[in-house]
Amino acid sequence: MANDSFAANVRAKRARLVSTVLQYALAAIVVVVVVFPVYWMIISSLKTSEELLRPVPSLWPAEFRWRNYSDALAMAPFGKYFFNTLVMTMGIMSLQLVIGSFAAYGFSKGRFPGRDALFVVVLGALMIPIQVTFVPIYGMVAKLHWINTFAGLIVPHAVSAYMIFMLRQTFKSVDDSFLEAARLEGMGRIGIIFKILVPMCKPTMLTVGIISFIDGWNSYFWPKMVTTTPFRRTIAQGVYELKRSYAGLETMNQNQIMAGAVMAVVPIIVLFVVLQKYILSGFSKAASK
Amino acid sequence: MKANGNAITGRRGASHRKREKAKDFLCVAPALAFFAVFVYYPLVDLFRIGFTNWNLIRDDYKYVGLKNYKWLFKGSGFDTWLASLKVTFSYTFWEIVITLAGGMLLAALFNRESKAFSAMRSIVFMPKYIAISTSAIVFMWILNDQYGFLNFVMGIFGKEPVAWLNSERTALTSVLILTGWRVVGYGMMIYLSAMKGISKDYYEAAELDGANAFLRFRHITLPLLSPTTLFLFVTTFIASMKVFQSIDVMTSGGPYESTNVMVYWIYDLAFVQFRVDRAAVVASVFFVILLAFTAATMKISNKSVHYES
Repeated sequence: MANDSFAANVRAKRARLVSTVLQYALAAIVVVVVVFPVYWMIISSLKTSEELLRPVPSLWPAEFRWRNYSDALAMAPFGKYFFNTLVMTMGIMSLQLVIGSFAAYGFSKGRFPGRDALFVVVLGALMIPIQVTFVPIYGMVAKLHWINTFAGLIVPHAVSAYMIFMLRQTFKSVDDSFLEAARLEGMGRIGIIFKILVPMCKPTMLTVGIISFIDGWNSYFWPKMVTTTPFRRTIAQGVYELKRSYAGLETMNQNQIMAGAVMAVVPIIVLFVVLQKYILSGFSKAASK
Repeated sequence: MKANGNAITGRRGASHRKREKAKDFLCVAPALAFFAVFVYYPLVDLFRIGFTNWNLIRDDYKYVGLKNYKWLFKGSGFDTWLASLKVTFSYTFWEIVITLAGGMLLAALFNRESKAFSAMRSIVFMPKYIAISTSAIVFMWILNDQYGFLNFVMGIFGKEPVAWLNSERTALTSVLILTGWRVVGYGMMIYLSAMKGISKDYYEAAELDGANAFLRFRHITLPLLSPTTLFLFVTTFIASMKVFQSIDVMTSGGPYESTNVMVYWIYDLAFVQFRVDRAAVVASVFFVILLAFTAATMKISNKSVHYES
């Protein structure tokens, strides 16, 4: 009897062990498949052209050719792309945060007639993507002489309905007594928003700020429409531009193209690793609403 | 509801109250002005342009009535339009399947509390944050007919090399391979965070009733995740209908228009063929389709989604 239950116990333990090992193994396979393109990009960026075109590809470079990076930099103005992307992204993020905070305050704590109806107007904007309306927006931006300018890159993305929605939700959760106390001390709206609400909702502010930054950094559609010269191109277009500059000779210069891709991707991977806590919490928040 | 404000405003009278309301409105005014100028006005303008013969080369134009609509529905644009709708919907269908089914599967696989699993989850989620255009270029290299790694691996298993991006039969699949890599971890993360919110009591009760793991998944996890599934369905639908970046970089709509998705076609009409008027009509009709489908989804889902009470 005691022996039986002992055997059953061992069997159950073994079954659990097998399923644990299986889970680790399957998960590891998935991870390898997901990581492979990034690995392949880095490895290819370090190979010589000769090694790149071998019929049996090597998983580790026989000879490291670091010059691919300087060659890529010589082919396309990556420094310029980085600068443009940084200015555009910071511009979009700051405008979205400031205008978004004001709007979120108004829609959560403000009192004025038609408030909730107007909030529906904000949500409605989510259903009208720039991929539908870019033709008239392009016409408007062209009339303002904003083609190939930072204004043209930034202003059409200066407000995010999604961000207002997220911030409004968080501001709502702050108890009115805090605002009341601040008002009694003579604080105005700007003080209440930036000295009370924003600091109290810091995690959400960080999350939406980071998401806005990454979206801006990776944005491709509108920057492509509004820039016609390399002078104002951004990094998301940059690698494609680099590839095109080898017109017809892409295959043998794939190592330099991959070097460009590595340079474009590294900042965002670093950012992701450092800030993933906020990025992940942002997504679970979005999903639960 | 207004009790908080009254203590102050009550004393200072009606004009003060009015000013306070005006100040509150001023907080939302910049955002509203933005949406009016850069979202709603362009939408109205889009429909207006559809009735003109404007192109980017000339500055003057006149109104031509339904001419552009006739081109789309009864003229030479019709076949391209149908083909484009078909490829857009089939791309969207597969992106939704990958996000929902793939995301759910990975969520079940990666649902384990340990440092190693937490790190692995982050890695699987990360591709979403790499610019599509850049990952597209990496995938083009992996999918290269002659030197690509994928054809090499298939060769090991005795498969003939595939012309991936250069064949109209496999071009959309090639784009979807990149899409799958990008979105599956996102689906997983959304499902995992929702699964964390399901109370353990349900599972314990079901286990006492003798329900096995499959039955517990089928009758507890799945129904309680339906709001999440709806969220993923609607957001993935809207996002994937707008697919452009991967198409622009990997296929330019080809070969033979086999990946000519709607937004790429609109872009091509406007900025390559300079037919802004036609682009506007295609975009207007596309908007109506998007709106109708989203509204229909919302309506159907209101009946079939289970919420945890």
